[in-house]
Amino acid sequence: MRAACAAAVDAALGAGATYADARAILRRSQSVGTRNGRVITLTDAESEGIGVRVLVGGSWGFACDRRLDETGAREAALRACAFAAAAGGNGGRALAPLEAGSGSFRPPVEIDPIAVPLEDKVALCLRAEEAMRRPEIKVAQASVRALRERKLFLSSDGAEIEQELVESGGGIDATAVGDDGIVQQRSYPSAHVGSSAQAGWEYVEGLGLEHEAPRVAEQAAQLLRADECPAGVATVVIDHEQMQLQVHESVGHPTELDRVYGTEAAYAGTSFLHPTDLGTLRYGSEHMNITADPTTPGGLGTFGFDDEGVPAARTPIVSEGVLSGFLTSRETAAKIGHGDGGSMRADGWQRMPLVRMTNLHLEPGSGTVDELISEVPEGLYLETNRSWSIDDKRLNFQFGTQMAWEIKRGRIGRLLRDATYTGVTPRFWGSLDRVAGPEAWVMYGLTNCGKGQPGQGAHVSHGASAARFRDVQVGVKS
Amino acid sequence: MTDALELAERALALVDGDAAEAVVMAERSGFARYAAGEVHQPTLIDDTVVQLRVIRDGCSGSATTNRIDDEGLTDLAGRAVAAAASADPDPELAPLAPPAELAKVEGYDEPTAALGADDQARLAEAAIAASDGLGLYGFFTSGVCELAIASSTGLRAHERTTDATCLALAAVDGASGYAERTSWRAGEIDPAAVAREAAAKAERTRGAVDAPPARYRAVLEPYAIAELLYYSAFDMFNGQALLEERSWFAGRIGERGFDPKVTLVDDGLDPRGLPRSLDFEGTPKQRVVLVEEGVIRDTVWDRENAARAGRASTGHALPLATRAEGAVATAVVMSPGEAESTDELAELVGDGIYVTRLHYLGVVNAREGVITGMTKDGTFRIRDGKVAEPLVNLRFTVSMPELLADVPGLTRETLLVSQSDFYDERWAYGYRVPGMATACFNVTGSGSGPGL
Repeated sequence: MRAACAAAVDAALGAGATYADARAILRRSQSVGTRNGRVITLTDAESEGIGVRVLVGGSWGFACDRRLDETGAREAALRACAFAAAAGGNGGRALAPLEAGSGSFRPPVEIDPIAVPLEDKVALCLRAEEAMRRPEIKVAQASVRALRERKLFLSSDGAEIEQELVESGGGIDATAVGDDGIVQQRSYPSAHVGSSAQAGWEYVEGLGLEHEAPRVAEQAAQLLRADECPAGVATVVIDHEQMQLQVHESVGHPTELDRVYGTEAAYAGTSFLHPTDLGTLRYGSEHMNITADPTTPGGLGTFGFDDEGVPAARTPIVSEGVLSGFLTSRETAAKIGHGDGGSMRADGWQRMPLVRMTNLHLEPGSGTVDELISEVPEGLYLETNRSWSIDDKRLNFQFGTQMAWEIKRGRIGRLLRDATYTGVTPRFWGSLDRVAGPEAWVMYGLTNCGKGQPGQGAHVSHGASAARFRDVQVGVKS
Repeated sequence: MTDALELAERALALVDGDAAEAVVMAERSGFARYAAGEVHQPTLIDDTVVQLRVIRDGCSGSATTNRIDDEGLTDLAGRAVAAAASADPDPELAPLAPPAELAKVEGYDEPTAALGADDQARLAEAAIAASDGLGLYGFFTSGVCELAIASSTGLRAHERTTDATCLALAAVDGASGYAERTSWRAGEIDPAAVAREAAAKAERTRGAVDAPPARYRAVLEPYAIAELLYYSAFDMFNGQALLEERSWFAGRIGERGFDPKVTLVDDGLDPRGLPRSLDFEGTPKQRVVLVEEGVIRDTVWDRENAARAGRASTGHALPLATRAEGAVATAVVMSPGEAESTDELAELVGDGIYVTRLHYLGVVNAREGVITGMTKDGTFRIRDGKVAEPLVNLRFTVSMPELLADVPGLTRETLLVSQSDFYDERWAYGYRVPGMATACFNVTGSGSGPGL
């Protein structure tokens, strides 16, 4: 791998590149999924190759090759240079300075998830799913996944970085169908194909899928008999699972600096933020503290170095409600004159790195979830994401949750189904009046964050405690 | 590119004696992605993925690789066999697809396949140059893909396809417009014309004002109706969802569900789309009538779910990585109407809103067909039958059955709208639809204005 990367960088420089980097990647992944007692997914996948990114005349170029040898690497480098030269552009790209060096990273892993026999993974899924069986459950599903990725990064700045990323994850879903055609779903630990962490198989074992399965199925069945969430304006307490997506969509994406500069306008969208908002824009109330932290143990966005070779560093994004940082690349950091980059990530060797979230957390406040609820005379407790949508500038959002509980005089009351809430980002975060404490803080790992053309999926983590918001529009109807 | 069918046969030969299926997906493509009038993310991709599925004693498992030398394929076979050995027996497992005669379809264009990085950059520049001083965002892409399947049933299938798309968002602060064209023949796409359409639309969006939440009559351009139908495909048009009663079609087959003007078919063979003759299980593509003059007729099927339903696959299996979703209609064609233009549809609407495209859709309630999202890059008020003042982006929450229940008109012209975002292995697909007027488009909020 090293020889291939070095050959790519040398070939690019020889072809006129003023900067070049090469990422060689070996990825192995396993997916197991069961549905109603049947194994529906059982795949052991591998992919390898090299991606070469170059700057020629101030224009980027990227090409890749599945051959992990010097020939494939050189050819990819030359294609990247030719594409950059053909693409032209306005030139004048600057990169934030980087003290290049060598480094390596490997997360602590107790049990290699790839080494866990596939039959054990199948058996776990089937047991968890079996535990969800009851008459109302039309579809019971369980899934687990494992991933190991080795990558080597070399750049013309002199960086040489070797990293190994390891992921494990799993989840269960129960879909209940009533005689009247009502369909309700419950998921655990998260609605988005469960949850993953950068950890060994011990993470999956710790999820307790079998243990949680009966509760998940029972709640799905209960939802069939629940009343529909009424429309109105309410105080809502949002659980940690839904809060992760709230953070992801309404803070993570708008603070990606490439979106702020418009380079994602044609697909994922732009941002309501401007570069000059840094340090001044009031994003939310004083209870709002958001941190980007690629050093969080177990985070899917945890690494030693990003895909530009920038060392991982913790960055405050919103501090006591004020915008205090962006997610950046070396190029966007240079453009805004703030930061070093450190959020560039690519989906494998076939894609060019983009500014992506790493681990973006809502920092905990104080107290328990029960305390948050106890202070609400009338409101809703919203639990587990069901649907999501947000506008291209990340202002107007609408989320649905799998469950809603009525809050009356500080106590949880009846269960409600089909809950939705909607808002506008700064106004919504401005209504945040309390975040539960560290004991209620939970981190989830999502594997389906999309961005870029061609599309790239990113694996990111978010930690959050339940949080309370005032005057929220709920119960949006079609 | 390598000989995909020969490669599939090599992989298959390594598991001789078992029921097995080798699928090869090969791609050579270029993306000249641009923003603010310059190509900023040019990406060239060249990859070949081999997927081997093995069925042994009623157990199915699979493995994939892109190492296509003998060592890589031997390792692939070992992992696929091990995966199958790890599964539980599945009495409902559908057998592998038998050999079948495939329809001769178009879909491969040598000049498109021959486009290189220089061409992709040149065509992107042609779009940028025509954007009339506005910033242009989007891409020109073209690619050639191969799908080859070799199975122990004797099935041998190979298809080479091309595709090209030019997408243009012309935008500055306070104004934006959108256009795109896609085809399997790049020569049918005029990037400059796409950019001009986007720029002209953008110029009309300056000074956008808000519109209050309400149920509006509306005109939806093809970009908008295509995306709404695509988001319906995963549940409403999906045989698996029908079996599991998650589809709005459940219990309604044969009943009138929509306006009689609504006819929807999935036709992967249609040369006006992105035609292909087979799905990823090797089953020949069939033309499936989903909705006929408003009457609910059928969903699409893959082999697994068709077997459970006691019927045959319609050739709509997805690639293995996403097959658990069930069958998805990827070539929906909506029958046109009589209107000469969307302006004529506005006359039919009288008072309402005009929607160019949508952004970030989310399924709120699959069973009820409820979808939310935002309008974008060309939303206008319709007054007195004319497209009037521009509007900010509006949040909508619509029930698809309600949206399609009363359709005052459809345009005579249809447009192929790409639905592929090019994640993972390249596979282009799109919907061919007309512009549509609806009596009910439920606006539930408003967001940012047009532009950057």
